[in-house]
Amino acid sequence: MKHILSGFISLLLVICATQVQAMEVVELKLANSNKVVFKVRFNNGSVSDPAGKQGLTYATASLMSQGGAGGISYSDIQDTLHPWAATYSAAVDKQVTTFTFQVPVAFVDEFYPIMKNVLLAPDFTEKDFSRVMKNQQNYVDQIVRASSDEDYSKFALEHQLFSGGNMQHLRQGTSESVKGLTLDDIKSHYQNTFTRHNVSIGVAGNYDDALLQRLKKDMSKLSGSAYTPATPSKANNANGIEVEIIAKEGAFGSAIFTGAPLAITRADDEFVALMIANSWMGEHRKAYSRLYQKIRQARSMNYGDYSYIEWYSAGGSNQLPPSGVPRASNYWSIWIRPVQIATQLQKQYEELADIKIGHAHFALRMAIREFDLMIKNGMDKEQFEATKTFLRSYTKLYAQSPAAQLGWLMDSRFYGRKDYLAELDTLLDKTTLQQVNNAIRKHWQTDNMFVTIVTDVSEAKPLADSLINNTPSPMSYSNLVKSGLPEEILAEDEVVANYPLNIKKVTIVDSADTFK
Amino acid sequence: MKTITKYTLAACVLLVLCAMSSANANPGQTDKILPYPIYQHKLANGLNVVTVPFDSPGLAAFHIVTRVGARNEVEPGVTGFAHFFEHMMFRGTDKYSKEEYSAALKSTGAAANANTTQDRTDYHMTGNADKLELMFELESDRFMNLNYSEHEFKTEAGAVKGEYTKNFASPYSQINEKRAETAFTTHTYSHTTMGYFKDIVDMPNQYEYSMKFFDRYYRPEYNTVLVVGDVTPEKVNALAEKYFGAWERGSYESVVPVEPEQTETRYTHLQNGTIPAYLSMSYKGPAFSDTAIDMPALDVLASIVFSDTSDLSKKLVIEEQKVRFIGGGAYDSRDPNLFTIQASMVEKEDMAYVMKEIEKAIAKVQSGDVDKDLLERTKSNLKYGFAMGMDTADAIAGSLAHYIQLTGDPESINRLYSLYDKVTVEDLKMVANKYFKPERLTIATISEDEQGALK
Repeated sequence: MKHILSGFISLLLVICATQVQAMEVVELKLANSNKVVFKVRFNNGSVSDPAGKQGLTYATASLMSQGGAGGISYSDIQDTLHPWAATYSAAVDKQVTTFTFQVPVAFVDEFYPIMKNVLLAPDFTEKDFSRVMKNQQNYVDQIVRASSDEDYSKFALEHQLFSGGNMQHLRQGTSESVKGLTLDDIKSHYQNTFTRHNVSIGVAGNYDDALLQRLKKDMSKLSGSAYTPATPSKANNANGIEVEIIAKEGAFGSAIFTGAPLAITRADDEFVALMIANSWMGEHRKAYSRLYQKIRQARSMNYGDYSYIEWYSAGGSNQLPPSGVPRASNYWSIWIRPVQIATQLQKQYEELADIKIGHAHFALRMAIREFDLMIKNGMDKEQFEATKTFLRSYTKLYAQSPAAQLGWLMDSRFYGRKDYLAELDTLLDKTTLQQVNNAIRKHWQTDNMFVTIVTDVSEAKPLADSLINNTPSPMSYSNLVKSGLPEEILAEDEVVANYPLNIKKVTIVDSADTFK
Repeated sequence: MKTITKYTLAACVLLVLCAMSSANANPGQTDKILPYPIYQHKLANGLNVVTVPFDSPGLAAFHIVTRVGARNEVEPGVTGFAHFFEHMMFRGTDKYSKEEYSAALKSTGAAANANTTQDRTDYHMTGNADKLELMFELESDRFMNLNYSEHEFKTEAGAVKGEYTKNFASPYSQINEKRAETAFTTHTYSHTTMGYFKDIVDMPNQYEYSMKFFDRYYRPEYNTVLVVGDVTPEKVNALAEKYFGAWERGSYESVVPVEPEQTETRYTHLQNGTIPAYLSMSYKGPAFSDTAIDMPALDVLASIVFSDTSDLSKKLVIEEQKVRFIGGGAYDSRDPNLFTIQASMVEKEDMAYVMKEIEKAIAKVQSGDVDKDLLERTKSNLKYGFAMGMDTADAIAGSLAHYIQLTGDPESINRLYSLYDKVTVEDLKMVANKYFKPERLTIATISEDEQGALK
């Protein structure tokens, strides 16, 4: 019996050791750093929300990061951390949940037990639950519609693009689903999806090996539930261009976001070829991208126009792409920042008193036409070389701080790469113009895509009519601007105003009915 | 006392560690919050050149801080102009058209942009340190030789309108505008950096004024060049002499009207039911100073009374759950500005109660009832929070740019943190009594009701 037991224990140890060994660990030692950054990531994300329980992963991570742990109240934890300026937070995306902890080197030993409790022993009290859920409910009921029409249009596009799948819903859930979430749901979701089998850890800064070993050992004490990360649903193929207009009371402009499925991600080398094309066409917040120059710079229709080949989180505030949003289910997109609506233009300029719609139809035509031209003509050698050179330098700025470096390294592992940013330089160097132009033709098309426009109630119907009927949409400049425009701009405007789009469906949705 | 000693000791270790990470660190500087030497060199024309070497291999952050913002928009009808002018700075010169400027900028591989606040415009680019000379060339060319057509000017105004349109979607942007114009009657802080929409719509008609604006402010005495990263002061100074040495001084002196004393509480309200009811209480505070104790004391007070760890937040947010969020703090600016406390309500009916609780928390400090240990813990938080944040060339440059806008001297950052160390309970009591008075207060609210509930 003794031998059998001993054999059983040995087997158990081997399993544990295997599990510890299997846990993905990313290390970034920075001996001169004055702090330690930990990232603990779970491959779950909002795609792991059970049916009817949308927002559960978000609620669970929020309660872990904003509630008591280890029997110590959230207030008392915050009091302990305060003099150290130590912080922690959780970020939930579609496929991952990432906890980030940051502490000065001097306090890391005292900080560690708190971090451990947050991850291993969250209190999940009714009182904390009530507070956290009030905010989550308020976000899905009000904030998402009322704080930024741009972000609203992006989330609404994902709702269309992934309709019917687990990628569809807001990370925070829907109005109805959040109402139904219970503390027991959170407790069981924590047990089921925040497990030692889907966790990876990262540590950066000035730490010692013993600390890392301790963390690895402790993380092996997470739930042992057999969790298999949910497969993210694929983006739907649109039937022609399908437009959803969200009519909102009191909107000042029309915020536009478009998207269509993209079969490749950072895991594919070909992604780098498309990255070069996308950078030339619509590099985020850059004046040297094509869409920006055409729509904003030459015509000053809005604050900026960009394109993307993967999700770009908080584009309104981030200048450089953040880590923490790796996704296996991908789409490409065009972001047209809010353009003027008819009622505003009528008020601003006497000469525009008779216009029926604002600038949204023209802007959409212009952006899609630019993509069509690129698909048809490809990039030329000069554009290609300049963009490649730019990216080889620019991408080195993505990960400057220890936290950003760690985040990008962990994202690399998600895509099956070791160090994506380092590999990117080599891949960029090797990519040829032919590969870029092949990738453009292979992955971009504009016949079938989804479009979301958040606009004022007054604009919705006339814009819908104009779109579905492919009505010419001449650009309505003020006389002040029009009088100075060169001939080539006006001639191009004429073409754009009549440019046919393959619009097959336009629906108007009341803002109050979104994300229900 | 034991706690204090521990934090003080740890702070010393932290500063030494930071200093070790810079090859050029001067041991004599380890008592400063920024453990890297700040090299300053003034050109004959008055342009200040600031260099901070930092261990960011191959990278440099290059800023030009123009100490001009919405504060300088003194003439009627030109609110938002400093920000608009920031846009115009990307519209080209005789040497580099806007397209050539964009192409040249792209060739540096830099992340470049600009932004404007009430007191300054900050032009910045972070990129390859070995492209530093090109950065200098591009920036000196547009700062000295900006040249755009009237049509370019009129066209760019549309982008500003687009920016306003984007911002307007948030009710908080709308209440910010109302709060500013209610709290200030005379000083230019009465309008936001974006400006009034009617002035933005009229911007295309202000071409002549834009020439005057450039002539007044885009002069060496209004600007500071700041470079942080993999650079040496010798190289930066030599490039500054080469590219900015010929920049001519101007003669314009900006005179900003002084705000008269406020005599009673003011109110403003936004009717909007799309977000939770919102309360803000803004008291007239001091201008930024790195020598007077007032602003550092208010910063410490803000953390003690209004941060997440404050008794007020614990009571209203964590325990009673009547408030979603509460926060407060003074706005660093060149002229006296607002100390604003904001709360997002769970139920609008609790607004009067929450206001009373805020007043009670202030009254506590006014009576000198502040725990000394909490004061030390708060000072520790300010120092560690700052030190941990200084982990990239960008972050350091951004922080120094903030203090350059306020005083013109990046060393203000070190002086400010020295003052934090000196703040006493008596100082907190003094500033609480000096600034938190009903006659200095503006209350701004948002709710679905037509009228604010607190008047």
